[in-house]
Amino acid sequence: MHRVALTLLALLTATAVSAQTLTAWVWDINKPALESTIESFQEMHPGVDVVVEDLGNQNVYDRGLAGCAAGGLDMPDIYLVENNEAEVFWSQFPDCFVDLTTLGADELRPAFPDFKWAELTVGDAIHAVPYDSGPTAIFYRRDLYEQAGVDPADIETWADFIDAGAQMNTAFDGNVKMGAIGKGADDEWFRMLANQAGCFYFDQAATEITITQPGCVQAMETMKNVWDASVLHPAGWSEQIQFLQNDAQASSFFGSWYSGTLIANMPEDQAGEWGVYLTPALEEGGVRASNLGGSALAIPASSDHPDLAYDFITNALADEENQLEILFEYGLTPSLLSLQGDPALEQGVEFFGGQAIWEDILGTLGDVPAVAGTQYFQEAREVMIVTVNDYLDGEYASAEAALEAAADQIAASTGLPIAD
Amino acid sequence: MTPEPAAAPRRRPWRRRATPYLFLTPFFALFAIFWVYPIAYSFVLSFLNTRQRPWTLDWDFNWGRLVQDEYFWNALGNTMLILVVQVPIMLAFATLLAVAFSSDLLRFKGFFRFAFFAPLVLGAVPYSAVFRLIFNEQYGVLNYGLTAIGLPSVSWLYESTPALVTIMIAMTWRWTGYNAVILLSGLQSIPATLYEAAKIDGATGVQRFFLITIPMLRPVLLFTFVLSTIGTLQLFTEPWLITTTGPGNATETLVTYLYQQGFRSFNFGYASAIAYSVAIIAAIFSLLQIRLVGGREVER
Repeated sequence: MHRVALTLLALLTATAVSAQTLTAWVWDINKPALESTIESFQEMHPGVDVVVEDLGNQNVYDRGLAGCAAGGLDMPDIYLVENNEAEVFWSQFPDCFVDLTTLGADELRPAFPDFKWAELTVGDAIHAVPYDSGPTAIFYRRDLYEQAGVDPADIETWADFIDAGAQMNTAFDGNVKMGAIGKGADDEWFRMLANQAGCFYFDQAATEITITQPGCVQAMETMKNVWDASVLHPAGWSEQIQFLQNDAQASSFFGSWYSGTLIANMPEDQAGEWGVYLTPALEEGGVRASNLGGSALAIPASSDHPDLAYDFITNALADEENQLEILFEYGLTPSLLSLQGDPALEQGVEFFGGQAIWEDILGTLGDVPAVAGTQYFQEAREVMIVTVNDYLDGEYASAEAALEAAADQIAASTGLPIAD
Repeated sequence: MTPEPAAAPRRRPWRRRATPYLFLTPFFALFAIFWVYPIAYSFVLSFLNTRQRPWTLDWDFNWGRLVQDEYFWNALGNTMLILVVQVPIMLAFATLLAVAFSSDLLRFKGFFRFAFFAPLVLGAVPYSAVFRLIFNEQYGVLNYGLTAIGLPSVSWLYESTPALVTIMIAMTWRWTGYNAVILLSGLQSIPATLYEAAKIDGATGVQRFFLITIPMLRPVLLFTFVLSTIGTLQLFTEPWLITTTGPGNATETLVTYLYQQGFRSFNFGYASAIAYSVAIIAAIFSLLQIRLVGGREVER
């Protein structure tokens, strides 16, 4: 009997100890990035454990929605949400996440740029703290470019990119492609190019569907030009990493966070062989910046330790030292305003051949046209994945026709009108 | 001390009759909570506009959209194509396999039966990951083999028709053995005397297969056919994990579309309407098959 009581007591204390554990759901490179801040967090809260789980991008979203739908069941203490998708949660489940102003988040407002807050706030309520942003760039292999005789400094427009791709095809007999596109798997190229042209699925206030606007048409046409030139592999996320690992792809077009993916996934002998150049312009002298992704951290209302979770988040995201480490070690671009112009950014990155890539990439942040996520982001995206794929396959007579069909489909599912 | 004779018999039958229901109560409670309620609730949902809170009653909102939604028709078309092409091929394979399994010429029967059944034991996620690797355009073993014998390599996962073929091949690999084992049990219930009699009458092996085996197997074949039809209408794993319903929506099925509407777009009303359309189609198909194939047996 005595032994049973002791065991029970031990079990109880065990649960009490594990109650001091915070769990976080994240994807990819965010796992080691956030883990790197745990030590400094534990200096404030000794004895509190933080478990960061990598569920993969789409799974975090799917399980988050399912959890919120189930009234906050099976949710972590800290939840990573993409800015684009954030408004789905706030509009469908206004009570699923803690209003962070109750924990003092008002003080954080001036520390981050307004465009990052736009999707994270509803009225006076703040639902998440800005994490990274995703200014786009081209990540390229110096050695492969050199062998093909391509000088990245000459690539100023997408037309130049196509020419360089042709050179690459000749040099490697078509075995090494200039880049890759998630054809039929994602519409990220469309989103990056459209953003560059100042266009998006919806207008800023999310009251109209705007994909039939000229900027989006230009984005579609540019993308098709690149695709038709046979300079891209069709490849989803993991295939693209395979191509890069096997020297079959000379560059990648993504948000700045991709640098972390490269550092984590490329074989050692590629270190130092990488470089970065700015997104090619849509036309001579055009904007050489756009944004893809960017995320924030929220606290589900079902968390038993919202205070601890909030301390973890502010320590990770609003602390300059931690943000610099996350930037240099894991390649995630900080949104923290106080870091702009920080001399540390002039530092060269070894993996990128000593290039001071952050100075270049962060320098474009001011040129990025702002866009809104809206709660209908996912369905517009699903439609555009199909439309882009069919358009690249030549199933539409023109970009306008493709985008009109897509707009009709999005209108049918959202009930929003199509802008003139 | 003598007990009242009248009271006991009056009470006991009621109690005795209640006992089985008492034992069934847990099941009925669970059935009500996890089956009846969701089925009824999703029926109601299919008439609600769930685009924005608060959800409002709108009879036509989801069903009206369903009729006009080309993405829904595309998903239905893909599902039907798989049903019409893959299921008959798979069942033909399964029948041949079952015959092989029961043949006296085959040694190590147990091993082969297990080997062909094994795909089903494997988890869906690792199996899908392996198929993604096999069908990888650049590094996949399949294209390696194709080019080795002088055939062109195929972009399995990034072109519409090859992607659909990939799904069908994967499904066939996974389910043929399962169906073969079911058919094998049917095969074993055919009396050996029938074959002996036919042999004496001079029937060839092929004749015996088509005139004895197939007709005698009809009820079991029908059973596997109905099961496969319903299974195909619920197809989710392969397109979701191997082709991620792509490229575009080339391998979108009814259920992946349902999931997308329900849990990506968070449009439960529309997802419920899709769910009910799947149920209706499944019911119609099952009835048709029983009428067409099962009915003939009765006529005889």
